[in-house]
Amino acid sequence: MITTPRRRQAASAFLALGTLLSVGACSVANSGPEPSSGGGAAASTVRIVLPEEPPTLEPCDASLTATGRVTRANITEALTERDPSSGQLQPALSTEWKQDSPTEWTFTLRKGVKFHDGTAFDAKAAAFSIERTLGSKVDCNVNGYVFGGIKLTATATDDVTLKVKTAKPDPILPLRLSFVEIVPTTTNATGKVREPVGTGPYKIAKWDAGRSLRLERFPGYWGKAPDFAAAEYVWRGEGSIRAAMIKSDEADIAVGLAPEDGAGDSAVQFPNNETSYLRIDAAKPPLNDVRVRQAINYAIDKDGLVASVFAGLGKPAGQLVPEGVTGHSPAIQPWPYDMAQAKKLIADAKAAGVATDTPITIIGRNGIYPKAAEAMEVVQNSLTEAGLSVKIQMLDVNAWLEYLLRPFPKDAGPTLLQAQHGNQAGDAAFTMGQIYGTKGGQSSFGTPELDDLITAGEQASGEARQTAFAKALDYQNKDVVRDAVLAHMTGILALSKKVTYKPNAATNDEMRLAELHPAG
Amino acid sequence: MLTFLRRRVVSSAIPLVVVVLGVFYLARLTGDPANLYLPLSATAEMRAEFAARHGFDQPLLVQFGDYLAQVVRLDFGESLRTAEPAANAVLRAFPATLQLAGATMILAILGAVVVGSWAAYRPNSLADRVASFTSTTAASMPDFWFAIMGVLVFSVALGWLPTSGTESMSAWVLPVLTLLIRPFGVLVQVVRGAMVTALSAPYIKVARSKGASELRVVFGHALRNAAPPALTVAGDLAVGLVNGAVVVETIFGWPGIGKLMITSILQRDFAVLQAAVLVTAITIFALNIVIDACYALLDSRVRQGVTA
Repeated sequence: MITTPRRRQAASAFLALGTLLSVGACSVANSGPEPSSGGGAAASTVRIVLPEEPPTLEPCDASLTATGRVTRANITEALTERDPSSGQLQPALSTEWKQDSPTEWTFTLRKGVKFHDGTAFDAKAAAFSIERTLGSKVDCNVNGYVFGGIKLTATATDDVTLKVKTAKPDPILPLRLSFVEIVPTTTNATGKVREPVGTGPYKIAKWDAGRSLRLERFPGYWGKAPDFAAAEYVWRGEGSIRAAMIKSDEADIAVGLAPEDGAGDSAVQFPNNETSYLRIDAAKPPLNDVRVRQAINYAIDKDGLVASVFAGLGKPAGQLVPEGVTGHSPAIQPWPYDMAQAKKLIADAKAAGVATDTPITIIGRNGIYPKAAEAMEVVQNSLTEAGLSVKIQMLDVNAWLEYLLRPFPKDAGPTLLQAQHGNQAGDAAFTMGQIYGTKGGQSSFGTPELDDLITAGEQASGEARQTAFAKALDYQNKDVVRDAVLAHMTGILALSKKVTYKPNAATNDEMRLAELHPAG
Repeated sequence: MLTFLRRRVVSSAIPLVVVVLGVFYLARLTGDPANLYLPLSATAEMRAEFAARHGFDQPLLVQFGDYLAQVVRLDFGESLRTAEPAANAVLRAFPATLQLAGATMILAILGAVVVGSWAAYRPNSLADRVASFTSTTAASMPDFWFAIMGVLVFSVALGWLPTSGTESMSAWVLPVLTLLIRPFGVLVQVVRGAMVTALSAPYIKVARSKGASELRVVFGHALRNAAPPALTVAGDLAVGLVNGAVVVETIFGWPGIGKLMITSILQRDFAVLQAAVLVTAITIFALNIVIDACYALLDSRVRQGVTA
């Protein structure tokens, strides 16, 4: 039997546990942002729900989607910025620039700009930021993504003049510098910073890690003040919850939705700058025969795939470089769906001794885009009908990356890799070498002829650059056929009736708060 | 009692060590983190520098030795993903999970004791049948579906509760209800079964013949003897919740340890993963000791090491 003292002890323990929990509950309840009218934040605050918390707001990681869409052009700014609609480079913290020689550039900087901490922006800060981004000590994502080993030096000759010298001629240096976010010289040069100081229209007010992030308008901003006094970000991993938060008036913008998330009337579609494709492992039989690669392109009904699997969100594509990006070839059309031609090509290859019955594996990645597995099942069905033997292996990101990047697995057999490419920088140089070059990090096959065409594009400038890269893409499409390009993809976000915003091709990677306006 | 506890501490410590070792080695067999943390276009030199900077170029044994040396100094390393100390992320997430799990288990146990005892008081009565049907339905409810339906009904359609978040007390309702439903269903069945047996035992007749009130008979005499099996099941369920309720944390944006661990696994954020596993394992280890101690207090055969 329980004795009376023991019962008292049990009751005390229970009470203590209850008190602990209630205190804890209060601490959670009180730790979020201050509530106000409108079911969440004040009317002058725009509420944004993201798919994930930014891992960090480090400016030199701004090429990462989760970081860039909060940091870029909101907290920090670069010397130049690319207009996502026209593709033209615009002044930002640099008002003008000129090329003094093939390897030397001069940037004239904007006067009267201040950082959020009150210090003045000058050429020393610009030189420091470039040095910090390209210095290997910080593992900056921008360094690998934009510069890829390019060597350069940046020197401040006076407060508003910056000289940049590259080791080799670089016709698109100003475009590359549109990714270098400028920070003051007091920023840690050897480690990443989670909460940066920048010159942008908003500064960080409070980051309650795990829960919410609040940015507030920077009163000392050099440009036009944005409409919203503050922006409040929260994050929810489940798309249907993000969509529901618009309906329940808990958010004004929900990012990264899929058709099945049920955003309804609040959904807004936009080209998200991504292109889905299958990388054909053209070095291994039977995929080393160009007829088989052509047959794969003919066998996939891209219109049907977009209409049925992608719910109409997307546009059948024939190349990885979309319209608006330097190097896009208007001559390339999506391969037509022609199953009879596909069957004939496979039969011809088989008659010529190609082992067309060799099992081919589609290496898929779960969640690479909505309905990723279903899309690969459609492809498998089409290729089987054309006469190939195809199986599917769906992987998580890291296992899939082993197939995407060199060195490739040695015993994989012939593969078709489900992939998606986004050229957020706006120049074919950020696509061609790494994806189609014989030594490209993501390239399983290339040819010396294609390498020469890519190199010609990389070295050209102006109109000649556009022509040269388009020529390389045409050659790839007609003679190499290393890919089966599927579609230029479409993104979805949801907007409440309180906010107006026109998403564009850059929205996924940078959501400019200054482009958001109160409705009405 | 002390001997019993000492024996349990030693036997529970072995799985703890195995878990820490296993997580360390298995996490490193699943791909190169440089692929995730560096852009696709990063050069081979950048990848090599990244590996060298974080020690991934060292043999596994050396990496493990370094890890142990750090842990001894209570240094859990830095998150590759967020560039903050791994301990910060874990110590921020774990209390959120403990609060959710604690609230859930208290409500589930209280509810199950009342409903289970009520059902067992008159077996096969209407009350018993309703309780059995409800508990079976609750125990087999898919939590993902329940959570989404809860949001659709109570947040979107009725507007009574927020869809997610942690900003207000009302935000606790849907996550706790979602987490609660299964343990509640299971515990009602266990309590009912144990109480039916206890209420038919001879000592209950003796208690009644001595004039004890029905409330005292049920909750004073029968429940004490029905408690051990319910405690065992409740302990298992609590351990599951402490491990993190990944589905609930993901859907409701609850910044708990389950979501942190899943993100760390997917992102190969070794330092955070190891710290999270270590803290969770130690807590479960402690929780098991507490459950065993409670069991021993309730049952003298356990306390004295006598097998039933």
